[in-house]
Amino acid sequence: MSDLATLLDERAVRFEARAAGRDKAIVLAGEALVAAGAVDPGYVDTMLERERSVPTYIGEGVAIPHGTLAGKELVHRDALSFVRFPDGVDWGGQPATIAIGIAAKGDGHVELLARIAELLLDPGTAAALREVTNLEDLRALLAEEDEE
Amino acid sequence: MTTIDGSTVRKLVVACDAGMGSSAMLAGTLKKQLKKSGVEVVHSPVAEIPADADVVVTHKGLAERARGVAGDTPVVPFDLFLGDPAVAKVVKAIQDKAQIDV
Repeated sequence: MSDLATLLDERAVRFEARAAGRDKAIVLAGEALVAAGAVDPGYVDTMLERERSVPTYIGEGVAIPHGTLAGKELVHRDALSFVRFPDGVDWGGQPATIAIGIAAKGDGHVELLARIAELLLDPGTAAALREVTNLEDLRALLAEEDEE
Repeated sequence: MTTIDGSTVRKLVVACDAGMGSSAMLAGTLKKQLKKSGVEVVHSPVAEIPADADVVVTHKGLAERARGVAGDTPVVPFDLFLGDPAVAKVVKAIQDKAQIDV
């Protein structure tokens, strides 16, 4: 896997965020990518645009907002942000606890996304991901290898 | 109705809008699941679906656009990003080298 510390910069992680609605939550997830130096600020608008065409709520209380194809030009490097909303956010009618903002130029983030999908397909680890409150535990969850 | 012959699938494409979010996630998952079957899994924006794709998997909202680009290549629409039964069926057909109608 690509370096987790680079893909998920500590500046792009928030455990105690609040947002009154989906768009505000997307802005927070986008600003976290900006804070990590992964995207230009203009990228956040393309995240909102993309959400309006195809929503990014994927299940298990998790949404993965990201920009449009045109927004790719505003991406500096592959990166994820992780913003947790302990009180939840109404994500177009679905209750979201976590917004994972995505910025990608290439495929550096694909394995990490697959790992997140794997965590979410198991109710136990999905709950653990929703309840994580510090960077160390988050990285430990994401770094675990397959038990094949 | 199109038939997918799991034994002949060499390249599976997950198509999406920008190719960086849900399609990338699903591609990563399928890559893991199909590693042993030797199938190449890629993700791409709908408009850039590669011509040598054997199966295209895409969100139902993009299926029509994907069909327009993919020509005769079977397009499998899915609804759920996590654990969609239509996607699971394709994976199983490839793993079992079986035929399915989509």
